[in-house]
Amino acid sequence: MSEERFILDVIEEASAKRRSDRRRFMRMAAGAGAVGGLAMLGACGSDDNDVIVLPTPTPTATAGSVTDADVLNFALQLEYLEAQFYSYAAFGAGLSASLQAGTGTQGSVATSTSGQPRQVAFQDPLVAQYAREIAYDEIAHVTFLRNALGSSAVAQPAINLSGDANGAFTAAARAAGVIGSTGTFDPYASDENFLLAAYIFEDVGVTAYMGGVTLLSNKTFVEAAAGIHAAEAYHAGLVRSVIYRKGLSNGTLITAANQISDARDSLDGSTDLDQGITVTANGVTSANIVPADSNAVAFVRTPQQVLNVVYLNKAAVTGGGFFPSGLNGNVRTSAASG
Amino acid sequence: MTESAHLLDAFDARAQRRDQRRAFFKTAMGAAAAGVAAFTLTSKAGAQSTITDADILNFALNLEYLEAQFYAFAANGTGLASNQLTGTGTQGAVTGGKKVTFTDPIVEQYAREIAADEAAHVAFLRTALGSSAVAQPAINISGDANGAFTAAARASGVIDSNATFDPYASDENFLLGAYIFEDVGVTAYKGASPLISNKTFLQAAAGILAVEAYHAAIVRTTLYAKGIQTPALITAAGKISDARDSLDGTTDLDQGIAATTVGGQLVSNIVPLDSNGIAFSRTPQQVLNIVYLNKASATLGGFFPAGVNGTLRASAAN
Repeated sequence: MSEERFILDVIEEASAKRRSDRRRFMRMAAGAGAVGGLAMLGACGSDDNDVIVLPTPTPTATAGSVTDADVLNFALQLEYLEAQFYSYAAFGAGLSASLQAGTGTQGSVATSTSGQPRQVAFQDPLVAQYAREIAYDEIAHVTFLRNALGSSAVAQPAINLSGDANGAFTAAARAAGVIGSTGTFDPYASDENFLLAAYIFEDVGVTAYMGGVTLLSNKTFVEAAAGIHAAEAYHAGLVRSVIYRKGLSNGTLITAANQISDARDSLDGSTDLDQGITVTANGVTSANIVPADSNAVAFVRTPQQVLNVVYLNKAAVTGGGFFPSGLNGNVRTSAASG
Repeated sequence: MTESAHLLDAFDARAQRRDQRRAFFKTAMGAAAAGVAAFTLTSKAGAQSTITDADILNFALNLEYLEAQFYAFAANGTGLASNQLTGTGTQGAVTGGKKVTFTDPIVEQYAREIAADEAAHVAFLRTALGSSAVAQPAINISGDANGAFTAAARASGVIDSNATFDPYASDENFLLGAYIFEDVGVTAYKGASPLISNKTFLQAAAGILAVEAYHAAIVRTTLYAKGIQTPALITAAGKISDARDSLDGTTDLDQGIAATTVGGQLVSNIVPLDSNGIAFSRTPQQVLNIVYLNKASATLGGFFPAGVNGTLRASAAN
């Protein structure tokens, strides 16, 4: 047995074995995980000019596969969603129109008299600073991916960020049990609600990029995706840390975060790919800021599993939840996850 | 504020962070460093084509030994189990390390969580490498005057040239000690991955990268929040960031945690990113500059007084 073969076998055995005794919120046997390829090559680590020479993604897929453009366009739409949410919450306005055009059907951010996305009247000035920082980062991701894709970039699809009874946030909160079945969840109503709404997205972004990079072939794109992957993990670590600290004097926050995590996990299939922000061992509950398997390796979601979460539907569908008309591009159908 | 103004500000925010960073640079900065960095890493990857995946994983294992021992002592008062230290190369001992008497119970919980994660990383990499795993090299995590932490703190100006930095003395010092490592771990995993050929290993490396980024965010968020009452913490974190940046060459690969003002509003800087919102990379050699606390090409020093084990052991000549 070659050394590399041995290492591979051990990794696979260890992963399978250890996932089965996952330390937190484990509910299912493991394994299905898409262990694919990640080839982070390239080196664009300088921020000095931030000039990255980008190859042109090939828009034509060979049969049965997705192109790099498909994967990047998938990521772009998640970034539209995140960027719009944070931009409204932090500044009271969405992305500029010039950042929304592209191929496919352009949609708008759903509005209504009661549920219009709006600036949060932050009480904690630090939360306001965090909201602005993340908003700027997500806008930068939209801009970067649109630049990378050029004329292949998909338009922003219709997005539901409403804070009213018909909003996707309310649907998610009801499904998770954060509110009653007739309650309304308004992510713009308070610092706490804003943080919980951010929590809905951030860990999903981490798992999405981790899954997405395995589908990319061009190494420059893969390296960039890994860099965005890290950024989303920083964001998620930030949001989870703040919720946990505030939750010590407001236990419902921790309960809600854990309920949201469970809801995400129930949407994406039987494999445990999510964790709340607390862990209880030997009767003692403590922080679980980092969602990871028993090897302390982060989780992976396939694009189809990510769509389960953002469509708020565990079946194979092409729209719903935060994307009422579905995504643009070729990756648009969620997995049949339950 | 108009929508387009928001977009412009997005770039301005990053530009201001860069400008702020540049103001602190101790080394001469190349104005056109972007292309230099890209070519440097690419050429290194090509020149070192004989490096195996095991070499890379062993390099990562050395870093995980360091992190795991620091957090294990700080959180639990004891280091890694002896059966987690054996392997090829020269096994070394840990100098220093002790339990922090935490005053903030949340910081203590964070320390325990990160300690468990880092120990899991050691176990995972050792299991993956099997008989190829390198032994733990000698590690200096002492909190006394001869400790690597003191050397790092002196070099960065966090303390005076004859003072002592003890990362186990307080919650705040522990957080600064952790801060020294965590962002480096993110850039190390991102920078090492181009050298990995097997996709399963690369996926695992990406998963560890994400965990290190979560850790870094915990540490940076906590330091920043405490820094509102104790601004010296934010200043110290900025100095440590500058010191890391001065060790790893002329390209700006690091950012402190001080907020910037954009459009009259404060914007935090928990996440160190370039203007595309993308995290930085360091080559293994640049990472060794930092943990050896030496900008020259060296094979030992700082936190690894006898050097790391394995084939990737020389830092870059910066």
